[in-house]
Amino acid sequence: MTANEITSKRTLIEVRDLRRSFDEEAVQALRGVSFTIDQGEFVSVRGPSGSGKTTLLNILGALDTRFEGNVLIDSVELRHLPSPERFRASTIGFIFQSFHLLAALTALENVQMPMFEQKWRASERQERAAALLKTVGLEHRMHHLPAKLSGGERQRVAIARSLANEPKLLLADEPTGNLDSENAQKILEVLCGIHQERNMTMIVVTHDPEVAAATGRTLRLRDGQLTAEG
Amino acid sequence: MSFLQLILKNLFRRRSRSLLTLTGISIGIAAVVSLSGIAAGFEQSWANVYKARGTDLVVTKSIARSTMPGPFPWSLKAELQKMPHVREVGGLLSDVFSVEDSPTVLVIGWEPKTALWNHVTLVSGRWPDDASKDTVAIGTLNAEMLGKKLGDKLQIETREFTVCGIFRSAALAESGAVVMPLSAMQALTEKEGMVNFFDIWLEPHTSPEETEALRDSIKKEFKDLTAFNPGSVSESNLAMQVAKAMTWAVSSIALVVGAIGVMNTILMSVFERLHEIGILLAIGWRRGRIMQMILAESLLLGLVGGIAGCGLGVAAARLLQRSPWVHGKLEAALDLRLLVTAVLIAIALGGLGGLYPAWIGSRMSPARALRQ
Repeated sequence: MTANEITSKRTLIEVRDLRRSFDEEAVQALRGVSFTIDQGEFVSVRGPSGSGKTTLLNILGALDTRFEGNVLIDSVELRHLPSPERFRASTIGFIFQSFHLLAALTALENVQMPMFEQKWRASERQERAAALLKTVGLEHRMHHLPAKLSGGERQRVAIARSLANEPKLLLADEPTGNLDSENAQKILEVLCGIHQERNMTMIVVTHDPEVAAATGRTLRLRDGQLTAEG
Repeated sequence: MSFLQLILKNLFRRRSRSLLTLTGISIGIAAVVSLSGIAAGFEQSWANVYKARGTDLVVTKSIARSTMPGPFPWSLKAELQKMPHVREVGGLLSDVFSVEDSPTVLVIGWEPKTALWNHVTLVSGRWPDDASKDTVAIGTLNAEMLGKKLGDKLQIETREFTVCGIFRSAALAESGAVVMPLSAMQALTEKEGMVNFFDIWLEPHTSPEETEALRDSIKKEFKDLTAFNPGSVSESNLAMQVAKAMTWAVSSIALVVGAIGVMNTILMSVFERLHEIGILLAIGWRRGRIMQMILAESLLLGLVGGIAGCGLGVAAARLLQRSPWVHGKLEAALDLRLLVTAVLIAIALGGLGGLYPAWIGSRMSPARALRQ
């Protein structure tokens, strides 16, 4: 077994009996979900609408810390985390279905946004952002505002931004959901490329079977419970 | 991209609203600068009168601390003259009258053959003498304001005087004044044998402690009278205190309006940007940095509004100085300290206006904001 393979076997995420309800227990979004994900795994999460996929992703990304059970990421317990923002800044990269770019900022400036929490100078931030945009094939569009970019290009900017803080875990919520099949394919290629080059742990919530097929493992959710793994 | 560039970008993309807020702050600060400058000028113009005369102590009625205090007997001069370190005492009676086209003119009656006459320079004509009760000397600014020259008639209340001299004074208040002998002023105001000020000149080398002791003795021995150093004229003068209080009252209202303007702008901008703030929180921005960003925007608005307000305030004060009500009576004292204070107030105003929006922005749930 090589050193890389030993590293890839390390558990990065451990979820035990995760429960989350809303409206004073009226809506139970997650009902006792447990699983582990190793460092370097590329995992998809599938399930019908309302099955709890986005709730799970929000909890893994420390956007929601009001849950029951245990969620450990890189040995950090997320429940009652004193500073979820600090944790996100150091550990998590987010890709959203609707891109969530800042409309007034250029692609280059959008990618720099997560870097404000790192101790990098402005010039260093700019260089790093330009390099990331080059990685996703957008070096020629870096000074364009999001409104001047196609949907696929916007999502590639969002992917570059998600890598800006050098995260340990990349979370993507329906990254191809708003794209046509051609652009969806490009995004999938970019994500697979990042996974291979960086051995990055990635979790993708998706309805798209092609995206799920490209990942190493799929978690299936139904009514807030994990129904199958494969 | 630097943090400052991000702040500027946020402000520039809402140009109209930022400009309106800047206008609001500028007007508030302009009110502070112009009113404070005028009030300080008012105070300074009186301090300059005493400075020009070289007066060491001023004696006036203790219970009437207005600009023109009530009269008291000139005969008290003899007792004051006997007090230690007193070199000379000069009595004067002054009041403000409507003189022809000018609504408020300072008219002063000076005791003849005292040091009161020494600090002014006769430009033309002669000084009015005690024998003739219908001649006056006028300051150069007064001559300019009323368009008078030697030999012209001057109507004060119901009496007519002849201008027999024109003088120049280092103090603006005196330059715009009419001067006559004490007895003529007593007759004009029907206050025979009365004065409302004694200016006291002390012997050379009198120490500040000795001056202070003399001041205390005057207060003790003359129960109705008080004595003050010319430097503390504003503390002893109710009119100046009222002017200062009015300045701060009007300024405070202007500042509160400015602060509400900043808060409104920043709050609107925060509510419009809830989604963006949610994105920033989701990608790892600390709540403290969100606060910093929103506060920096409002502080910057305060800074720019403060600088613009200072410019506007200086211009407004200069315009006020030229108005017939103010022209010749005082000059706005617009020193660097006032301008720096005004800019600091504007920055504080921006900070205060931005605090609540910054708190609102930083308390947001990123998951909820992203759903919007």
